[in-house]
Amino acid sequence: MAQTQEGVVERELTMSRAMVEAIADEMREDEEVFYMGEDVADYGGIFDSTAGLREEFGYDRIMDVPISETAYLGAAVGAAQAGMRPIAELMFVDFFGVAMDQIYNQMAKNTYMSGGNVNVPMVLTAAVGGYYNDAAQHSQTLYGTFAHLPGMKVVVPSTAYDAKGLMHNAIRDDDPVVYMFHKRLMGIGWMPAPDGPKTPVPETDYTIPFGSADVKREGADVTIVTLGLHVHRALEAAESLAEDGVDAEVIDLRTLVPLDDETILESVAKTGRLVVVDEDYRSFGVTGEIVARVAESSLADLEAVERVAAADVPIPYARSLENEMLPATEDIASAVRETQ
Amino acid sequence: MSDTDTVAVEVDQYWPEDADEDEGIVSTWFVTEGAAVDDGDLLCEIQVEKVDADVLAPTAGTLAEILVDEDGEFARGDVLARIEPA
Repeated sequence: MAQTQEGVVERELTMSRAMVEAIADEMREDEEVFYMGEDVADYGGIFDSTAGLREEFGYDRIMDVPISETAYLGAAVGAAQAGMRPIAELMFVDFFGVAMDQIYNQMAKNTYMSGGNVNVPMVLTAAVGGYYNDAAQHSQTLYGTFAHLPGMKVVVPSTAYDAKGLMHNAIRDDDPVVYMFHKRLMGIGWMPAPDGPKTPVPETDYTIPFGSADVKREGADVTIVTLGLHVHRALEAAESLAEDGVDAEVIDLRTLVPLDDETILESVAKTGRLVVVDEDYRSFGVTGEIVARVAESSLADLEAVERVAAADVPIPYARSLENEMLPATEDIASAVRETQ
Repeated sequence: MSDTDTVAVEVDQYWPEDADEDEGIVSTWFVTEGAAVDDGDLLCEIQVEKVDADVLAPTAGTLAEILVDEDGEFARGDVLARIEPA
């Protein structure tokens, strides 16, 4: 094990390997845990979400499914209600549409509607995100869509360390968890990640509680609240803002449902200035929700508010147009300057 | 640094079987120079013709020098790094 004598973790992992490590660990501990999805067996997941797992656990527990989301997500709900612990994957979050009844009416509501007589200990994983020219139906994040509907927890890791802890927690949770992983953070060969998501990851198992945001960078002049890929873009923006004498605090939400209000409110009480950054569509989503919560609880603390999000249009295929409508690092820096 | 004291991490044994290409790139390093590694520990991931492979430590020791960085190219027969044995 790559560790110094002081116990400092020297081994780094990409986000995909950290997720796989957590899944493998839980699968060894509990026979009821299994993974189902499109191209997850021999292919190892098109974004490496199950790389190496079929070799260890076989085709029964790392299960390729037909291209029929409503069928296999429904099967996962049934398996979960029967006492298994399935992890079912949406190859692209954009594909949720054909299976949405199974997700938001069955998975999310059966516990409630049965008066607690069944629970649904299922993890729904989904690849999210754009910036690689995959156009309108393969580039969305849809954080707001899943966070809005009651009955499911929603987590969004931004680093390998967070990804492993959140995955352990998600699998052990007896209620449904939607685990949204950004394609650009996975660290796969054909779509290299920025530097941020590859972090030291302990070899032991550990959990990260849901509803716990993480201050990735402390600062006094502005509070940047964000998630997923934009945690790294915000940190980049913070570096260039520091050169101009603006000290930005970057909060990584890590969980959308339940949301950590406290960390956000504490930060805004300190800085007075709020910038919310989201790769999902601007209207009726994460940015509006965060601003509303801060306004409700701490209106007196707020001196300035800016939202940076995707424009309310389908994501274009043309690279220049995609870059125009999705939030860039420079957009974050500009928004911060507006608040100062 | 004296090469005779260190063990080479050679790429050839990890070359994907069906690959015709004689070149590849290092996609990710999982340890940094100076890190302690055990025999068989994961060092880096390489990519040849879109096929990924894991490169493992040939011996326990300290990763003395990385010769091919992330996104760096290598050819058959190249040495990716050197390990100072424990």
